[in-house]
Amino acid sequence: MAVLEARDITKTYQEGVQETTVLRGVSMDLHAGEVVTLEGPSGSGKTTLLQILGCILSPSGGDLRIQQKPVEGRSSHLAAVRRRNIGFVFQQFNLFPSLNALENVQYALNLKGLKGPAAKQEARALLDAVGLLDRAGYLPRDLSGGQKQRVAIARALACKPAVLLADEPTANLDSAVGAQILELFRDLAKRENRALLVVTHDPKVRSIADRVLQIHDGRLRP
Amino acid sequence: MVDLALKILLHDKLRFTITVAGVAFAVALVLSQVGLFFGLLSNATLTIRHANADLWVTSHNTPNVDFAHQFPETYVNRVRSVPGVARAGNLIVTFMNITLPNGAEEGGVFYALEDFGAWNLPWTVKEGDIQDLRRGEFIFLDESAKRRLGDFATGDYREVQHNRLRIAGVSQEAKSFTTTPVSFIDFRRAQEMNPDLLKGNTSYILVKLAPGADAAAVKAELHRRLPFNDVYTSNEWATKSEAYWIKNTGIGLNAFLAVFLGVLVGVVVVAQTLYTSTMEHIKEFGTVKAIGGSNADIYRILARQATIAAVLGFLLGLGLAFAQKPAVEAMNLKLIMPASTISVVAVGTLLLCLASAMVSFRKVANVDPGLVFRS
Repeated sequence: MAVLEARDITKTYQEGVQETTVLRGVSMDLHAGEVVTLEGPSGSGKTTLLQILGCILSPSGGDLRIQQKPVEGRSSHLAAVRRRNIGFVFQQFNLFPSLNALENVQYALNLKGLKGPAAKQEARALLDAVGLLDRAGYLPRDLSGGQKQRVAIARALACKPAVLLADEPTANLDSAVGAQILELFRDLAKRENRALLVVTHDPKVRSIADRVLQIHDGRLRP
Repeated sequence: MVDLALKILLHDKLRFTITVAGVAFAVALVLSQVGLFFGLLSNATLTIRHANADLWVTSHNTPNVDFAHQFPETYVNRVRSVPGVARAGNLIVTFMNITLPNGAEEGGVFYALEDFGAWNLPWTVKEGDIQDLRRGEFIFLDESAKRRLGDFATGDYREVQHNRLRIAGVSQEAKSFTTTPVSFIDFRRAQEMNPDLLKGNTSYILVKLAPGADAAAVKAELHRRLPFNDVYTSNEWATKSEAYWIKNTGIGLNAFLAVFLGVLVGVVVVAQTLYTSTMEHIKEFGTVKAIGGSNADIYRILARQATIAAVLGFLLGLGLAFAQKPAVEAMNLKLIMPASTISVVAVGTLLLCLASAMVSFRKVANVDPGLVFRS
Protein backbone atom coordinates (compact mmCIF):
# COMPACT_ATOMS: atom_id res chain seq x y z
CA MET A 1 0.00 0.00 0.00
CA ALA A 2 1.35 3.42 -0.96
CA VAL A 3 1.78 5.61 2.13
CA LEU A 4 3.04 8.48 0.02
CA GLU A 5 1.86 9.35 -3.48
CA ALA A 6 3.30 12.23 -5.49
CA ARG A 7 1.79 13.12 -8.84
CA ASP A 8 3.24 15.54 -11.34
CA ILE A 9 5.04 17.60 -8.72
CA THR A 10 6.61 20.83 -10.00
CA LYS A 11 8.58 23.50 -8.18
CA THR A 12 9.56 26.85 -9.57
CA TYR A 13 11.45 29.58 -7.74
CA GLN A 14 11.11 33.20 -8.69
CA GLU A 15 14.12 35.45 -8.23
CA GLY A 16 13.31 38.93 -9.47
CA VAL A 17 12.13 38.53 -13.03
CA GLN A 18 13.95 35.21 -13.44
CA GLU A 19 12.14 31.92 -12.88
CA THR A 20 14.05 28.74 -12.07
CA THR A 21 12.25 25.43 -12.41
CA VAL A 22 13.76 22.82 -10.11
CA LEU A 23 11.20 20.01 -10.39
CA ARG A 24 9.40 19.24 -13.63
CA GLY A 25 6.53 16.86 -13.08
CA VAL A 26 7.83 14.27 -10.61
CA SER A 27 5.55 11.31 -9.86
CA MET A 28 6.42 8.55 -7.42
CA ASP A 29 5.03 6.32 -4.67
CA LEU A 30 6.48 5.05 -1.42
CA HIS A 31 5.12 1.89 0.16
CA ALA A 32 5.14 0.74 3.77
CA GLY A 33 8.23 -1.28 4.59
CA GLU A 34 9.97 -0.18 1.37
CA VAL A 35 13.47 1.29 1.25
CA VAL A 36 14.06 3.61 -1.70
CA THR A 37 17.12 5.66 -2.56
CA LEU A 38 16.99 8.85 -4.57
CA GLU A 39 20.21 9.58 -6.43
CA GLY A 40 21.28 12.40 -8.61
CA PRO A 41 24.00 14.98 -9.11
CA SER A 42 24.12 18.30 -7.29
CA GLY A 43 21.40 20.70 -8.44
CA SER A 44 19.24 17.90 -9.82
CA GLY A 45 16.39 18.69 -7.40
CA LYS A 46 16.91 15.90 -4.82
CA THR A 47 16.72 18.04 -1.72
CA THR A 48 13.84 20.13 -3.07
CA LEU A 49 11.88 16.95 -3.76
CA LEU A 50 12.73 15.67 -0.27
CA GLN A 51 11.48 18.91 1.28
CA ILE A 52 8.23 18.71 -0.66
CA LEU A 53 7.70 15.05 0.22
CA GLY A 54 8.49 15.93 3.85
CA CYS A 55 5.93 18.76 3.84
CA ILE A 56 8.54 21.43 4.48
CA LEU A 57 8.01 23.09 1.12
CA SER A 58 4.78 23.28 -0.80
CA PRO A 59 4.98 22.43 -4.49
CA SER A 60 4.19 24.92 -7.27
CA GLY A 61 2.00 22.29 -8.89
CA GLY A 62 0.95 18.67 -8.62
CA ASP A 63 -0.69 16.53 -6.02
CA LEU A 64 0.76 15.01 -2.86
CA ARG A 65 -1.03 12.49 -0.68
CA ILE A 66 0.24 10.97 2.55
CA GLN A 67 -1.69 8.09 4.07
CA GLN A 68 -4.28 8.65 1.33
CA LYS A 69 -4.96 12.19 2.50
CA PRO A 70 -4.21 15.20 0.30
CA VAL A 71 -1.57 17.62 1.59
CA GLU A 72 -2.53 21.27 1.39
CA GLY A 73 -0.10 24.16 1.01
CA ARG A 74 -0.95 26.05 4.19
CA SER A 75 2.03 26.15 6.56
CA SER A 76 -0.06 25.13 9.58
CA HIS A 77 -1.42 22.13 7.67
CA LEU A 78 2.08 21.19 6.47
CA ALA A 79 3.34 21.34 10.08
CA ALA A 80 0.50 19.13 11.28
CA VAL A 81 1.14 16.54 8.54
CA ARG A 82 4.86 16.62 9.33
CA ARG A 83 4.16 16.09 13.02
CA ARG A 84 1.91 13.07 12.40
CA ASN A 85 3.54 11.31 9.47
CA ILE A 86 7.15 12.26 8.81
CA GLY A 87 10.45 11.46 10.50
CA PHE A 88 13.56 13.26 9.27
CA VAL A 89 17.24 12.34 9.46
CA PHE A 90 19.63 15.06 8.36
CA GLN A 91 23.16 15.11 7.02
CA GLN A 92 24.22 17.48 9.82
CA PHE A 93 22.34 15.44 12.48
CA ASN A 94 20.73 18.67 13.79
CA LEU A 95 20.52 17.48 17.37
CA PHE A 96 19.84 20.10 20.02
CA PRO A 97 23.29 20.74 21.54
CA SER A 98 21.89 21.67 24.96
CA LEU A 99 19.87 18.44 25.29
CA ASN A 100 21.36 15.05 26.00
CA ALA A 101 20.63 12.04 23.79
CA LEU A 102 17.57 10.97 25.77
CA GLU A 103 16.17 14.51 25.89
CA ASN A 104 16.67 14.97 22.14
CA VAL A 105 14.42 11.99 21.49
CA GLN A 106 12.05 12.86 24.30
CA TYR A 107 11.61 16.42 23.02
CA ALA A 108 10.52 15.13 19.59
CA LEU A 109 8.00 12.90 21.34
CA ASN A 110 6.79 15.90 23.36
CA LEU A 111 6.29 17.91 20.18
CA LYS A 112 4.27 15.06 18.73
CA GLY A 113 2.00 15.03 21.76
CA LEU A 114 3.50 12.35 24.01
CA LYS A 115 4.41 13.85 27.40
CA GLY A 116 5.43 12.92 30.92
CA PRO A 117 6.88 9.55 32.00
CA ALA A 118 5.42 7.81 28.94
CA ALA A 119 7.57 10.02 26.69
CA LYS A 120 10.66 9.26 28.73
CA GLN A 121 9.98 5.56 28.61
CA GLU A 122 9.40 5.64 24.86
CA ALA A 123 12.59 7.69 24.35
CA ARG A 124 14.57 5.09 26.28
CA ALA A 125 13.05 2.33 24.15
CA LEU A 126 13.98 4.17 20.96
CA LEU A 127 17.54 4.76 22.15
CA ASP A 128 17.72 1.09 23.06
CA ALA A 129 16.56 0.20 19.55
CA VAL A 130 19.49 2.12 18.05
CA GLY A 131 21.92 0.66 20.62
CA LEU A 132 22.60 3.90 22.48
CA LEU A 133 20.80 3.50 25.78
CA ASP A 134 24.13 3.54 27.60
CA ARG A 135 24.79 7.02 26.15
CA ALA A 136 21.37 8.42 27.10
CA GLY A 137 22.83 11.12 29.35
CA TYR A 138 25.50 12.30 26.92
CA LEU A 139 25.33 15.68 25.21
CA PRO A 140 25.78 15.62 21.42
CA ARG A 141 29.27 17.15 21.75
CA ASP A 142 30.35 14.04 23.66
CA LEU A 143 29.06 11.62 21.02
CA SER A 144 30.83 10.42 17.86
CA GLY A 145 29.33 11.15 14.43
CA GLY A 146 27.85 7.67 14.19
CA GLN A 147 26.35 7.93 17.66
CA LYS A 148 24.82 11.31 16.83
CA GLN A 149 23.24 9.84 13.72
CA ARG A 150 21.83 6.97 15.77
CA VAL A 151 20.23 9.48 18.13
CA ALA A 152 18.85 11.31 15.08
CA ILE A 153 17.39 8.04 13.79
CA ALA A 154 15.81 7.34 17.17
CA ARG A 155 14.35 10.86 17.09
CA ALA A 156 13.02 10.32 13.54
CA LEU A 157 11.24 7.18 14.72
CA ALA A 158 9.45 9.06 17.50
CA CYS A 159 5.71 8.39 17.43
CA LYS A 160 6.05 5.89 14.60
CA PRO A 161 5.80 8.10 11.49
CA ALA A 162 4.61 6.41 8.29
CA VAL A 163 7.42 7.95 6.23
CA LEU A 164 11.10 8.29 7.09
CA LEU A 165 13.12 10.73 4.99
CA ALA A 166 16.90 10.85 5.20
CA ASP A 167 19.07 13.50 3.58
CA GLU A 168 22.60 12.18 2.93
CA PRO A 169 22.64 10.40 6.31
CA THR A 170 26.13 8.97 5.84
CA ALA A 171 27.83 11.97 4.25
CA ASN A 172 29.52 13.02 7.50
CA LEU A 173 30.49 9.50 8.58
CA ASP A 174 33.39 7.27 7.64
CA SER A 175 32.43 4.38 5.38
CA ALA A 176 32.42 1.65 8.07
CA VAL A 177 30.21 3.65 10.43
CA GLY A 178 28.09 4.77 7.48
CA ALA A 179 27.47 1.17 6.48
CA GLN A 180 26.43 0.29 10.05
CA ILE A 181 24.05 3.24 10.17
CA LEU A 182 22.45 2.29 6.86
CA GLU A 183 21.98 -1.32 8.01
CA LEU A 184 20.42 -0.11 11.23
CA PHE A 185 18.16 2.28 9.38
CA ARG A 186 17.08 -0.41 6.94
CA ASP A 187 16.41 -2.97 9.69
CA LEU A 188 14.34 -0.52 11.73
CA ALA A 189 12.33 0.59 8.70
CA LYS A 190 11.60 -3.01 7.72
CA ARG A 191 10.84 -4.16 11.28
CA GLU A 192 8.49 -1.25 11.92
CA ASN A 193 7.00 -1.32 8.41
CA ARG A 194 7.95 2.27 7.63
CA ALA A 195 8.58 3.69 4.18
CA LEU A 196 12.18 4.95 3.97
CA LEU A 197 13.48 7.35 1.32
CA VAL A 198 17.20 8.08 1.41
CA VAL A 199 18.57 10.92 -0.67
CA THR A 200 22.21 10.37 -1.48
CA HIS A 201 25.18 10.99 -3.72
CA ASP A 202 26.79 7.83 -2.44
CA PRO A 203 26.37 4.77 -4.71
CA LYS A 204 27.13 2.47 -1.74
CA VAL A 205 23.80 3.43 -0.18
CA ARG A 206 22.17 1.57 -3.04
CA SER A 207 23.07 -1.70 -1.29
CA ILE A 208 20.22 -1.29 1.20
CA ALA A 209 17.60 -0.19 -1.33
CA ASP A 210 14.62 -2.14 -2.58
CA ARG A 211 14.33 0.39 -5.37
CA VAL A 212 16.55 3.14 -6.76
CA LEU A 213 15.25 6.39 -8.21
CA GLN A 214 17.43 8.65 -10.34
CA ILE A 215 16.71 12.33 -10.72
CA HIS A 216 18.25 14.63 -13.33
CA ASP A 217 17.28 18.19 -14.13
CA GLY A 218 14.17 17.94 -12.02
CA ARG A 219 12.84 14.77 -13.68
CA LEU A 220 12.83 11.20 -12.45
CA ARG A 221 14.47 8.82 -14.90
CA PRO A 222 12.59 5.68 -15.68
CA MET B 1 8.26 17.78 29.13
CA VAL B 2 11.79 18.59 28.13
CA ASP B 3 12.48 22.25 28.95
CA LEU B 4 14.34 23.26 25.80
CA ALA B 5 13.91 26.96 26.65
CA LEU B 6 15.80 26.66 29.95
CA LYS B 7 18.40 24.32 28.47
CA ILE B 8 19.19 26.79 25.68
CA LEU B 9 19.43 29.63 28.23
CA LEU B 10 21.75 27.70 30.50
CA HIS B 11 23.84 26.42 27.61
CA ASP B 12 25.33 29.91 27.29
CA LYS B 13 25.74 30.88 30.92
CA LEU B 14 27.55 34.17 30.23
CA ARG B 15 24.75 35.47 28.02
CA PHE B 16 22.19 34.26 30.52
CA THR B 17 24.02 36.09 33.31
CA ILE B 18 24.13 39.30 31.25
CA THR B 19 20.39 39.05 30.52
CA VAL B 20 19.47 38.52 34.17
CA ALA B 21 21.91 41.25 35.27
CA GLY B 22 20.35 43.67 32.77
CA VAL B 23 16.87 43.01 34.10
CA ALA B 24 18.12 43.20 37.70
CA PHE B 25 19.83 46.54 37.04
CA ALA B 26 16.67 47.96 35.51
CA VAL B 27 14.49 46.67 38.36
CA ALA B 28 16.89 48.00 41.01
CA LEU B 29 17.05 51.39 39.25
CA VAL B 30 13.28 51.69 38.98
CA LEU B 31 12.62 50.51 42.54
CA SER B 32 15.28 52.71 44.11
CA GLN B 33 14.22 55.81 42.15
CA VAL B 34 10.55 55.29 42.87
CA GLY B 35 11.44 54.43 46.50
CA LEU B 36 13.44 57.65 46.84
CA PHE B 37 10.59 59.59 45.26
CA PHE B 38 8.12 58.18 47.76
CA GLY B 39 10.64 58.74 50.57
CA LEU B 40 11.10 62.42 49.69
CA LEU B 41 7.37 62.92 49.30
CA SER B 42 6.70 61.29 52.63
CA ASN B 43 9.10 63.77 54.26
CA ALA B 44 7.03 66.57 52.75
CA THR B 45 3.93 65.46 54.61
CA LEU B 46 5.29 63.72 57.72
CA THR B 47 3.98 66.37 60.10
CA ILE B 48 0.56 66.48 58.43
CA ARG B 49 0.15 62.71 58.60
CA HIS B 50 1.32 62.45 62.21
CA ALA B 51 -0.55 65.45 63.61
CA ASN B 52 -3.69 64.47 65.47
CA ALA B 53 -5.86 66.81 63.38
CA ASP B 54 -8.81 66.04 61.13
CA LEU B 55 -8.91 69.43 59.41
CA TRP B 56 -6.34 72.11 58.64
CA VAL B 57 -7.29 75.75 58.24
CA THR B 58 -4.69 77.57 56.15
CA SER B 59 -4.39 81.04 54.72
CA HIS B 60 -5.69 81.31 51.19
CA ASN B 61 -3.55 79.62 48.53
CA THR B 62 -0.86 78.26 50.86
CA PRO B 63 1.06 75.91 48.57
CA ASN B 64 2.46 73.42 51.10
CA VAL B 65 2.93 72.99 54.81
CA ASP B 66 6.44 74.48 54.93
CA PHE B 67 5.62 77.65 52.98
CA ALA B 68 3.06 79.02 55.40
CA HIS B 69 1.39 82.45 55.36
CA GLN B 70 0.04 84.09 58.46
CA PHE B 71 -3.43 85.15 59.49
CA PRO B 72 -4.88 86.41 62.82
CA GLU B 73 -4.60 83.91 65.64
CA THR B 74 -8.01 84.93 66.96
CA TYR B 75 -9.67 83.09 64.08
CA VAL B 76 -9.25 80.01 66.22
CA ASN B 77 -12.17 81.21 68.36
CA ARG B 78 -14.45 81.22 65.34
CA VAL B 79 -13.35 77.70 64.58
CA ARG B 80 -13.99 76.53 68.14
CA SER B 81 -17.55 77.81 67.93
CA VAL B 82 -18.46 75.66 64.95
CA PRO B 83 -20.68 72.67 65.85
CA GLY B 84 -18.80 69.41 65.41
CA VAL B 85 -15.42 70.84 66.38
CA ALA B 86 -14.08 69.09 69.49
CA ARG B 87 -11.03 71.31 69.80
CA ALA B 88 -8.88 73.64 67.74
CA GLY B 89 -5.39 75.04 68.20
CA ASN B 90 -3.05 77.47 66.46
CA LEU B 91 0.09 76.21 64.78
CA ILE B 92 2.92 78.41 63.53
CA VAL B 93 5.27 77.02 60.91
CA THR B 94 8.08 79.45 60.16
CA PHE B 95 11.68 79.64 59.05
CA MET B 96 14.28 81.04 61.46
CA ASN B 97 18.05 81.05 61.48
CA ILE B 98 20.05 78.89 63.86
CA THR B 99 23.58 80.02 64.66
CA LEU B 100 26.08 77.17 64.86
CA PRO B 101 28.94 77.09 67.41
CA ASN B 102 31.37 78.03 64.64
CA GLY B 103 29.40 81.20 63.87
CA ALA B 104 27.81 79.95 60.68
CA GLU B 105 24.05 80.08 60.27
CA GLU B 106 21.65 77.39 59.13
CA GLY B 107 17.99 77.78 58.35
CA GLY B 108 15.47 75.79 60.30
CA VAL B 109 11.75 75.20 60.01
CA PHE B 110 10.03 75.68 63.36
CA TYR B 111 6.70 74.21 64.46
CA ALA B 112 5.21 76.22 67.29
CA LEU B 113 2.18 75.05 69.30
CA GLU B 114 0.70 75.82 72.69
CA ASP B 115 0.01 72.19 73.49
CA PHE B 116 2.23 69.77 71.60
CA GLY B 117 0.91 66.70 73.41
CA ALA B 118 -2.67 67.33 72.28
CA TRP B 119 -1.61 67.37 68.62
CA ASN B 120 0.91 64.52 68.72
CA LEU B 121 3.80 66.71 67.60
CA PRO B 122 6.55 65.59 67.65
CA TRP B 123 5.36 62.01 67.43
CA THR B 124 8.61 60.36 68.53
CA VAL B 125 10.55 61.87 71.43
CA LYS B 126 14.00 60.42 72.00
CA GLU B 127 15.03 62.58 74.96
CA GLY B 128 13.34 65.15 77.18
CA ASP B 129 9.75 66.19 77.83
CA ILE B 130 7.99 68.21 75.12
CA GLN B 131 5.91 70.03 77.76
CA ASP B 132 9.14 71.71 78.94
CA LEU B 133 8.91 74.00 75.91
CA ARG B 134 6.25 76.02 77.75
CA ARG B 135 8.58 76.70 80.70
CA GLY B 136 10.89 79.20 79.07
CA GLU B 137 13.54 79.61 76.46
CA PHE B 138 13.70 76.05 75.24
CA ILE B 139 13.80 74.26 71.93
CA PHE B 140 13.37 70.69 70.75
CA LEU B 141 15.62 69.64 67.87
CA ASP B 142 15.19 66.59 65.69
CA GLU B 143 17.98 64.07 65.64
CA SER B 144 18.16 64.28 61.84
CA ALA B 145 19.26 67.91 62.20
CA LYS B 146 22.72 66.74 63.29
CA ARG B 147 23.71 66.44 59.64
CA ARG B 148 23.16 70.18 59.19
CA LEU B 149 23.70 71.58 62.70
CA GLY B 150 26.51 69.34 63.89
CA ASP B 151 26.38 67.26 67.04
CA PHE B 152 24.18 68.45 69.93
CA ALA B 153 22.71 67.03 73.10
CA THR B 154 19.94 67.80 75.54
CA GLY B 155 21.12 70.65 77.78
CA ASP B 156 23.24 72.33 75.08
CA TYR B 157 22.46 75.88 74.01
CA ARG B 158 21.85 77.11 70.49
CA GLU B 159 21.20 80.62 69.25
CA VAL B 160 18.02 81.02 67.23
CA GLN B 161 17.24 84.38 65.69
CA HIS B 162 19.73 85.88 68.18
CA ASN B 163 17.94 84.27 71.16
CA ARG B 164 19.86 81.81 73.30
CA LEU B 165 17.74 78.68 73.71
CA ARG B 166 18.44 75.56 75.66
CA ILE B 167 17.85 72.19 73.98
CA ALA B 168 15.14 70.62 76.12
CA GLY B 169 14.96 67.39 74.19
CA VAL B 170 15.46 65.55 70.95
CA SER B 171 12.80 64.20 68.62
CA GLN B 172 13.13 61.61 65.86
CA GLU B 173 11.79 61.22 62.33
CA ALA B 174 10.65 64.84 61.98
CA LYS B 175 11.97 65.84 58.56
CA SER B 176 11.03 68.29 55.83
CA PHE B 177 11.06 67.87 52.08
CA THR B 178 13.84 70.44 51.73
CA THR B 179 15.97 68.64 54.37
CA THR B 180 15.85 71.87 56.40
CA PRO B 181 16.01 70.77 60.06
CA VAL B 182 12.65 70.60 61.82
CA SER B 183 12.53 72.04 65.35
CA PHE B 184 9.79 72.59 67.91
CA ILE B 185 9.25 75.67 70.01
CA ASP B 186 6.53 77.16 72.18
CA PHE B 187 3.88 79.16 70.30
CA ARG B 188 4.32 82.39 72.29
CA ARG B 189 8.10 82.09 72.22
CA ALA B 190 8.01 81.89 68.41
CA GLN B 191 5.84 85.03 68.25
CA GLU B 192 8.27 86.90 70.53
CA MET B 193 11.27 85.88 68.48
CA ASN B 194 9.84 87.16 65.21
CA PRO B 195 7.24 89.75 66.21
CA ASP B 196 7.15 91.59 62.90
CA LEU B 197 5.78 88.51 61.18
CA LEU B 198 4.19 86.47 63.91
CA LYS B 199 2.83 88.77 66.63
CA GLY B 200 -0.91 88.10 66.90
CA ASN B 201 -0.71 85.69 63.98
CA THR B 202 -0.78 82.00 63.31
CA SER B 203 0.01 79.92 60.23
CA TYR B 204 -2.58 77.20 60.62
CA ILE B 205 -5.46 76.14 62.80
CA LEU B 206 -5.56 72.46 63.60
CA VAL B 207 -9.04 71.04 64.09
CA LYS B 208 -10.11 67.87 65.86
CA LEU B 209 -13.66 66.83 65.11
CA ALA B 210 -16.10 65.64 67.74
CA PRO B 211 -16.93 61.93 67.52
CA GLY B 212 -19.56 61.36 64.82
CA ALA B 213 -19.19 64.84 63.34
CA ASP B 214 -19.65 65.17 59.59
CA ALA B 215 -16.26 66.34 58.29
CA ALA B 216 -17.69 67.74 55.06
CA ALA B 217 -20.36 69.73 56.92
CA VAL B 218 -17.84 71.14 59.41
CA LYS B 219 -15.48 71.97 56.60
CA ALA B 220 -18.23 73.81 54.73
CA GLU B 221 -19.21 75.77 57.82
CA LEU B 222 -15.60 76.69 58.54
CA HIS B 223 -15.24 77.91 55.01
CA ARG B 224 -18.40 79.99 55.40
CA ARG B 225 -17.11 81.60 58.60
CA LEU B 226 -13.56 82.07 57.31
CA PRO B 227 -14.10 83.04 53.67
CA PHE B 228 -10.50 84.21 53.19
CA ASN B 229 -8.98 80.96 54.40
CA ASP B 230 -8.82 77.46 52.94
CA VAL B 231 -9.91 74.36 54.82
CA TYR B 232 -8.59 70.90 54.03
CA THR B 233 -8.90 67.45 55.49
CA SER B 234 -5.53 66.00 56.50
CA ASN B 235 -5.45 63.84 53.38
CA GLU B 236 -6.35 66.73 51.07
CA TRP B 237 -3.69 68.91 52.65
CA ALA B 238 -1.04 66.21 52.38
CA THR B 239 -1.95 65.60 48.75
CA LYS B 240 -1.79 69.32 47.98
CA SER B 241 1.62 69.61 49.67
CA GLU B 242 2.94 66.62 47.72
CA ALA B 243 1.54 67.94 44.45
CA TYR B 244 3.37 71.23 45.00
CA TRP B 245 6.75 69.54 45.25
CA ILE B 246 6.06 67.19 42.36
CA LYS B 247 5.02 70.02 40.05
CA ASN B 248 7.46 72.71 41.13
CA THR B 249 10.73 70.93 41.78
CA GLY B 250 11.02 68.50 38.88
CA ILE B 251 11.13 65.58 41.31
CA GLY B 252 8.17 64.03 39.47
CA LEU B 253 9.86 64.44 36.11
CA ASN B 254 13.11 63.08 37.54
CA ALA B 255 11.35 60.00 38.88
CA PHE B 256 9.55 59.52 35.58
CA LEU B 257 12.81 59.82 33.62
CA ALA B 258 14.56 57.36 35.94
CA VAL B 259 11.74 54.85 35.52
CA PHE B 260 11.75 55.41 31.76
CA LEU B 261 15.52 54.90 31.68
CA GLY B 262 15.27 51.74 33.76
CA VAL B 263 12.57 50.37 31.49
CA LEU B 264 14.59 51.29 28.42
CA VAL B 265 17.74 49.59 29.73
CA GLY B 266 15.79 46.48 30.68
CA VAL B 267 13.96 46.23 27.37
CA VAL B 268 17.09 46.86 25.29
CA VAL B 269 19.20 44.34 27.22
CA VAL B 270 16.55 41.61 27.16
CA ALA B 271 15.53 42.25 23.55
CA GLN B 272 19.16 42.35 22.42
CA THR B 273 20.31 39.22 24.26
CA LEU B 274 17.20 37.21 23.38
CA TYR B 275 17.44 38.29 19.76
CA THR B 276 21.13 37.40 19.54
CA SER B 277 20.44 34.09 21.23
CA THR B 278 17.57 33.41 18.82
CA MET B 279 19.76 34.17 15.83
CA GLU B 280 22.49 31.88 17.13
CA HIS B 281 19.98 29.09 17.65
CA ILE B 282 18.01 29.75 14.48
CA LYS B 283 18.94 26.34 13.06
CA GLU B 284 17.64 24.69 16.22
CA PHE B 285 14.35 26.51 15.78
CA GLY B 286 14.34 25.31 12.17
CA THR B 287 14.84 21.77 13.51
CA VAL B 288 11.94 22.22 15.92
CA LYS B 289 9.76 23.06 12.92
CA ALA B 290 11.19 20.26 10.78
CA ILE B 291 10.46 17.61 13.39
CA GLY B 292 6.87 18.75 13.73
CA GLY B 293 6.90 21.85 15.94
CA SER B 294 4.78 24.85 15.05
CA ASN B 295 5.41 28.58 15.43
CA ALA B 296 3.42 28.39 18.66
CA ASP B 297 5.93 25.85 20.05
CA ILE B 298 8.78 28.26 19.28
CA TYR B 299 6.90 31.23 20.70
CA ARG B 300 6.45 29.24 23.89
CA ILE B 301 10.21 28.63 24.07
CA LEU B 302 10.98 32.35 23.66
CA ALA B 303 8.23 33.41 26.06
CA ARG B 304 9.52 30.99 28.66
CA GLN B 305 13.07 32.31 28.26
CA ALA B 306 11.78 35.87 28.71
CA THR B 307 9.78 34.79 31.77
CA ILE B 308 12.78 33.09 33.36
CA ALA B 309 14.94 36.19 32.76
CA ALA B 310 12.16 38.41 34.15
CA VAL B 311 11.61 36.39 37.33
CA LEU B 312 15.29 35.92 38.18
CA GLY B 313 16.16 39.50 37.19
CA PHE B 314 13.30 40.88 39.26
CA LEU B 315 14.27 38.90 42.38
CA LEU B 316 17.91 39.95 42.04
CA GLY B 317 16.90 43.57 41.39
CA LEU B 318 14.58 43.57 44.39
CA GLY B 319 17.43 42.27 46.54
CA LEU B 320 19.74 45.00 45.21
CA ALA B 321 17.14 47.69 45.92
CA PHE B 322 16.67 46.50 49.50
CA ALA B 323 20.44 46.25 49.95
CA GLN B 324 20.67 50.01 49.21
CA LYS B 325 18.37 50.88 52.08
CA PRO B 326 20.98 51.20 54.87
CA ALA B 327 23.23 53.40 52.70
CA VAL B 328 20.29 55.61 51.72
CA GLU B 329 19.13 55.92 55.31
CA ALA B 330 22.65 56.87 56.37
CA MET B 331 22.20 59.91 54.11
CA ASN B 332 19.03 60.89 55.99
CA LEU B 333 16.87 59.78 53.06
CA LYS B 334 14.24 57.12 52.88
CA LEU B 335 13.61 54.36 50.38
CA ILE B 336 9.93 53.51 50.55
CA MET B 337 8.92 50.45 48.54
CA PRO B 338 5.34 49.51 49.33
CA ALA B 339 4.06 46.06 48.35
CA SER B 340 1.80 47.62 45.72
CA THR B 341 4.79 49.25 43.99
CA ILE B 342 6.80 46.04 44.14
CA SER B 343 3.86 44.17 42.61
CA VAL B 344 3.49 46.71 39.80
CA VAL B 345 7.24 46.53 39.05
CA ALA B 346 7.08 42.71 39.08
CA VAL B 347 4.19 42.59 36.61
CA GLY B 348 5.78 45.35 34.52
CA THR B 349 9.07 43.46 34.38
CA LEU B 350 7.34 40.33 33.14
CA LEU B 351 5.29 42.19 30.53
CA LEU B 352 8.29 44.16 29.26
CA CYS B 353 10.44 41.03 29.01
CA LEU B 354 7.68 39.32 27.04
CA ALA B 355 7.37 42.40 24.84
CA SER B 356 11.15 42.29 24.30
CA ALA B 357 10.86 38.65 23.22
CA MET B 358 8.41 39.71 20.52
CA VAL B 359 11.33 41.13 18.53
CA SER B 360 12.53 37.54 18.28
CA PHE B 361 9.01 36.21 17.66
CA ARG B 362 8.94 38.04 14.37
CA LYS B 363 12.22 36.47 13.33
CA VAL B 364 11.33 32.88 14.16
CA ALA B 365 7.87 33.21 12.63
CA ASN B 366 9.64 33.30 9.28
CA VAL B 367 12.19 30.57 9.99
CA ASP B 368 12.41 28.25 7.04
CA PRO B 369 12.53 24.68 8.32
CA GLY B 370 14.36 23.89 5.08
CA LEU B 371 17.49 25.51 6.52
CA VAL B 372 18.14 22.27 8.39
CA PHE B 373 19.16 20.77 5.04
CA ARG B 374 21.89 23.33 4.56
CA SER B 375 25.36 22.66 5.86
